[in-house]
Amino acid sequence: MGIGEGSTATGVQGAPLPARARAADAGDGADAGLTADELRRGLARARRSIDRHAAALTRLDAVLGDGDHGDNMAIGFRAVEELVAGLPAETLPGDLLRAVGHRLVATVGGASGPLYGTAFIEAGFRAGEAGRLEPALVGEMLRAATAGLARRGRCAIGDKTMFDTLAPATDAVVAAIESGATAAEATRAGIRAGRRGMRGTRALVARRGLALRIGERSRGHVDPGAASCLLLLIALARR
Amino acid sequence: MSEPTFDASSDDPAPSRLEVERLRARLAALESDHRRAFEQAQREADALFAQYQLSQLLASGGSPTDLGRAVVEEIVRLAGAVAGAIWLGEAGRRELVLLAVSGEFDVAVPGRFAGPEEGVSYVDGRAGLHLVVLGGEPLATLVVLRAEPGRELDTDGLRVAQLARHELAVAFSGARLREALERERHDLEAVVDGATDVILQVDEGSRLVRMNPAGERLLGIPAAAAVGRTCGDVLGCATVAGHEPAACPLAEVIRTGAPIGYRETVIAAAGGPVQVAGGYSVTPGRPGSTARATAILRDITAVRALEQLREGFVATVSHELRTPLALVRGYAESVLHLDLDPERRMEYVDRIHQVTSRLGTLVDQILDVTHLDADPLILERAPVSLGALIARLRGDLALAGDDGRLRVDVPADLPAIDVDAGRIGQVLANLVGNALKYAPGDSPVAIGAAVESDWLVVAIEDEGIGVPEEERGLVLEPFHRAWNVRESRTPGSGLGLYICRRLVEAHGGRLSLADRADGRPGTRVEFTVPLLPDARRAARRNGPERSADA
Repeated sequence: MGIGEGSTATGVQGAPLPARARAADAGDGADAGLTADELRRGLARARRSIDRHAAALTRLDAVLGDGDHGDNMAIGFRAVEELVAGLPAETLPGDLLRAVGHRLVATVGGASGPLYGTAFIEAGFRAGEAGRLEPALVGEMLRAATAGLARRGRCAIGDKTMFDTLAPATDAVVAAIESGATAAEATRAGIRAGRRGMRGTRALVARRGLALRIGERSRGHVDPGAASCLLLLIALARR
Repeated sequence: MSEPTFDASSDDPAPSRLEVERLRARLAALESDHRRAFEQAQREADALFAQYQLSQLLASGGSPTDLGRAVVEEIVRLAGAVAGAIWLGEAGRRELVLLAVSGEFDVAVPGRFAGPEEGVSYVDGRAGLHLVVLGGEPLATLVVLRAEPGRELDTDGLRVAQLARHELAVAFSGARLREALERERHDLEAVVDGATDVILQVDEGSRLVRMNPAGERLLGIPAAAAVGRTCGDVLGCATVAGHEPAACPLAEVIRTGAPIGYRETVIAAAGGPVQVAGGYSVTPGRPGSTARATAILRDITAVRALEQLREGFVATVSHELRTPLALVRGYAESVLHLDLDPERRMEYVDRIHQVTSRLGTLVDQILDVTHLDADPLILERAPVSLGALIARLRGDLALAGDDGRLRVDVPADLPAIDVDAGRIGQVLANLVGNALKYAPGDSPVAIGAAVESDWLVVAIEDEGIGVPEEERGLVLEPFHRAWNVRESRTPGSGLGLYICRRLVEAHGGRLSLADRADGRPGTRVEFTVPLLPDARRAARRNGPERSADA
């Protein structure tokens, strides 16, 4: 099973694919809000997931970019793991996310570092000094991350980027929360929408990043950024 | 930021209301400064990232068109425009050339753009266009952007594009250079790969670094398998030419630095040793690369064979022409100067007639051979029966009184053949003529025929001296006569069988010599000619039909 729909989800033959995330694992107790500890566990899962799928991400990037996305992300999230281990236990979720963002900017090569870094920093700013991230706040944090990504990357829906995963996932989470859904339901809706967005990048022609060079030839391949974004969402959403 | 609070239980005197107001104003100002600084930092970070992305794109290579398309997309996005186009200056030309367009952009910018100073952008109010000159001489780059109606372009984005103008000019120069080099490499490759001569190159250690497809064909080795091996190993010259490594012309040009215009040697080709003529040159070593020697080798086996053929031709023709000419001259002089009786005189004139007839045949054959070797044979094919060709031959033989020796054993219902009747008639006459000439005067000459799949096989058998087995292939080549025939002193040019073979092959058939079917002494010549398509179908229906063979 894969990020998307099985063995062809990445659009690259032979690419090993991640196990389908059990988004439903976001327990119903999550309505009480995410703690910093839970966030730390989510980041550790993210590191493991990225490591597992680094080769597949790199293969996707070899088609559309310069073939280093998986390696870069793996390096970045190992650095994040080290950073998090060194932070005091009482570090607030917002501070944790901002520190992670800065570490990603500094360690992930290519455009992904500044872009993911921006998303984490913006989400961290929005978390402010909250000790628990309640569902409504998580929705606002996702909004802030999405807006930051759009601004820094000058990207929009349909550009074939990580934004095509993050933006619909955010919309779905916010809509679910606003309609009174539980945290678990909102998480499931978000992952579903993110996965749909990621799969949708396969049919798109790239309009941002290095894939711009290959124009029409970029069609038919899932964007590696969209794929890694889904991996992160799944890892961070699990409880 | 939350409002400051004050501890009411403190002993300190409460600040005055004015002081509180002042502190609040100060706090608001600090917050505002902080927000501005934060926003400014964000914008700078955004701009830096945009610059990084544009640089990454410029450094990523590609053709000028691909690069132009990517760059104009990026700049349109940076500037928040809805459409844009990019023009490039051509070296040595004043006109700008449209490279790529993003969005709906059908505005024709004047071919010759006498724009503002480098790096300055301005707004053309009439068309709502923003023209941005991104580079100066020698490679001007002009980007024209169209903003959404009622909206301004993003000045930060434009600034990023402006800052990248030098990188942009360098990237496009590089892309053009790469394209030109690629085109040149492609052209050179076409010349080298298309050459029919072997072209190969070795390094200072005599190791092969490249070889063209003609080399692969001649040597029967893929270039990939030959590269890295020594040229002596690949060409096998030490084995077949027996020359020492020091005598290697490739090593010699590297050692002396002087080219070799022409040298012949022998190499081990796929089909055995081949004589080649080569030109050898050297590319001297430069910093970063070592000297390389290049050889252009031409297989001259065919040239040598042709030379031998020409020499043989001249010798044979001289001999064949001189002998009868000497006879003619002798008889003519006798007739002219000797007081011969009328009977003897008639006899000599008759001899002159015979000899000149032979000369005529020889000249015809020489002309035939010349014609066969020089032009593709044009055949006038038509349906004809072998029986008709034999009947015509019999009529010709009757004039010389030789028809009585002919035994024809050909089924009456043989299918028609699809041949040039004149040419195949000539083959039949020649083969029967040979049989009559080389067999004893009263022995029979038999003609038989049989259908074999799509072909009619015709066989002529005589009881003559035969052709030794080892000579059977050779007598089908021009001017070659079997040793027993030469010894028999029967006159002949050595061209007849060669002409017959070529004519049969021109019809797609085969001609060969064999032992007689009954094993008795003599010669059997067999040739095949194609059946008419209808006859082929009929033959397939009826199965193989064999006649009483000759």
